[in-house]
Amino acid sequence: MIEGVGLLLRLLLGLGVLLISGYALARSLAPASRRLEQAALALGLGSLSLTLWLLALAALCLPWRLTLILPLPLALMAASWVGRRFFSGTCMVEGFPPWINAPKPSGSIPLKGWDWVFLGVIGLILLFATLRALLYPIWAWDAVSTWGFKAKVFFLRGTLDLQGFEAHNYYPNLVPLLLTYLYICLGQVNDQVVKIVFPLAGLSLILLVFALLRRLGLSRRGALGITAFFTAGGVTLVEHLHIAYADLFLTYYTLGAGGLVYLWLKEVSLSGNLSLAAFFLAGLSWTKFEGTPMAGTVLLAAALSLLWLHPPGLARRLWSLSVPGLGLLLGYLPWRLFIWSHGIEMGTDHILGFYPHQFFQAVPALLEALVNPRNFGFLWPLAALALVVCRKKWVTTPLLYLPLFLGGNFLAILLAYAVAPTAPFEFPLYVRATLDRLLLHLAPVAVLLLGEGVKELEKGPEGLSGPVSLSSQDSGSFRE
Amino acid sequence: MPLLAGARQRWPVAALILLGLQVALLGWHLHGEVLDLSRRLIQGTWGEAVRAENPFYCWLMNLKKVIPEQATYVFLDHYELGKEIEARYHLFPRRHLLLVPESPPSLLFYTLRQYGVTHILVREGQKPPGPGLLALLESGAAEPLPVPGPGLAFRVDLRRIKGAFYD
Repeated sequence: MIEGVGLLLRLLLGLGVLLISGYALARSLAPASRRLEQAALALGLGSLSLTLWLLALAALCLPWRLTLILPLPLALMAASWVGRRFFSGTCMVEGFPPWINAPKPSGSIPLKGWDWVFLGVIGLILLFATLRALLYPIWAWDAVSTWGFKAKVFFLRGTLDLQGFEAHNYYPNLVPLLLTYLYICLGQVNDQVVKIVFPLAGLSLILLVFALLRRLGLSRRGALGITAFFTAGGVTLVEHLHIAYADLFLTYYTLGAGGLVYLWLKEVSLSGNLSLAAFFLAGLSWTKFEGTPMAGTVLLAAALSLLWLHPPGLARRLWSLSVPGLGLLLGYLPWRLFIWSHGIEMGTDHILGFYPHQFFQAVPALLEALVNPRNFGFLWPLAALALVVCRKKWVTTPLLYLPLFLGGNFLAILLAYAVAPTAPFEFPLYVRATLDRLLLHLAPVAVLLLGEGVKELEKGPEGLSGPVSLSSQDSGSFRE
Repeated sequence: MPLLAGARQRWPVAALILLGLQVALLGWHLHGEVLDLSRRLIQGTWGEAVRAENPFYCWLMNLKKVIPEQATYVFLDHYELGKEIEARYHLFPRRHLLLVPESPPSLLFYTLRQYGVTHILVREGQKPPGPGLLALLESGAAEPLPVPGPGLAFRVDLRRIKGAFYD
């Protein structure tokens, strides 16, 4: 009993340090943002900084002791406090609509009716996922073979040592190191309780979906409804809330990076928005092997949107994208340097040639996965419908970014299947085993598209055609 | 566009119906898991108890007691079945090598010598041994270990593997 309480306290302390340091970083980077937004970003920023710190300690051959691990998150908290104490009130954004810089509303409208229904749906799913994560030990394939296994090895060896086994050793290590950090806090391998980070990542993802929808100008009820619709949209997300795969974190970082860049393109973002996006691009690259090309598509879609729309100050805006570009390098280079300095062999198990027939074989599978309600509910068909509703806006406004990003990634998925070295009988199984999670990475960005569609429907008939100016489209509902 | 104008008026109702359908579909897909979770909550059979229900896991726990941590073992199984990754996960830090059960003597004997293997684990104890394991047993270089469970375990005496054989 006493041992169990001690374990719980150690877990809560470990998670607390992680979340508070991430929250502090979010506050430092975007001090004018809402608490809910900062809370949604906290896990991503905390996990990124802490796991990169563990990588740095391993690279310097320093032991992973809490006395060496904790100074970084504590320094982040202290820096945030000092920054707020001495530099508060200096972060107004010139030229942005007044509600962006306005102080946060002191009171809030109480929840009622459908708000509670939507919250209830989200709450029930999160409760199920949390119990499912906490009561069952690690069991799913990739958790046992890769992510959870590496976490156990790193903890038992006390450093990032990949010798003597093959578990996609060249893959980035955000998730294994995050679990290792919790094992260090617990003082033991307990692959049951550390899985709490997955429902926590799910909660952060859901909060981020809601926060971004609000930033896009949806009413609280509208944003809550769409968030509930996303959360209850099929089994793929719910499974990933508890099976201890890295895909949930990749989904979260994709939404953070893609969503924040989209807000910046729409000029409805806060100061520090691109810096936050940079950290989320770093997280993308440091979470999974496919995160780096996906981060590339975030930047490419943003650059192409700017070039197509040709807004005033185009060159300056294109140059601004170097900030998230640096973030991508922050997530990519440290691990590549570690790989290079430690002679870790880069795998080519996913890329051995080009098989065009597989590209065409994957097309119907992709279409089937998009419309099959088992995977994502009705999200993808409705996102397509949202494109139709916004048909005139997506070639004349930054909305273009969303279909560019999603379409580019669909193409990337098909190309990835075209280079996958699988036997003919094995290929359909390979597609079936991987497609849902590849689409999961993109699903929250499709939710933003859906949000844009709903916003159009919320307007009058004039909203259904013709471009709408930024100030008129966003300010009203946000200040509800 | 009358279609879109009509959609604008009716979309909240349609959206709520779709959300309800999604929740119902999700409930239908997850009802088995929800029932299992509820049963475990009521009976208190969670955590290690979930694993203890699996004879393969119990076998691995028994093997942990007899295979030293610094040992290397060969696991004879097919990767696709997903059991060898479980063995590797639970038996770490013991060094793990995977070969298919049908491995010929040349491959098995080479692996044993090259990597200093001290134990061989066979997941399916009911099946007849493959050619490599059969040759090893006939050479007298492997001795069965009395570990209860669905698989078989052998201790290898590397000094008795001389080579000079053909597949």
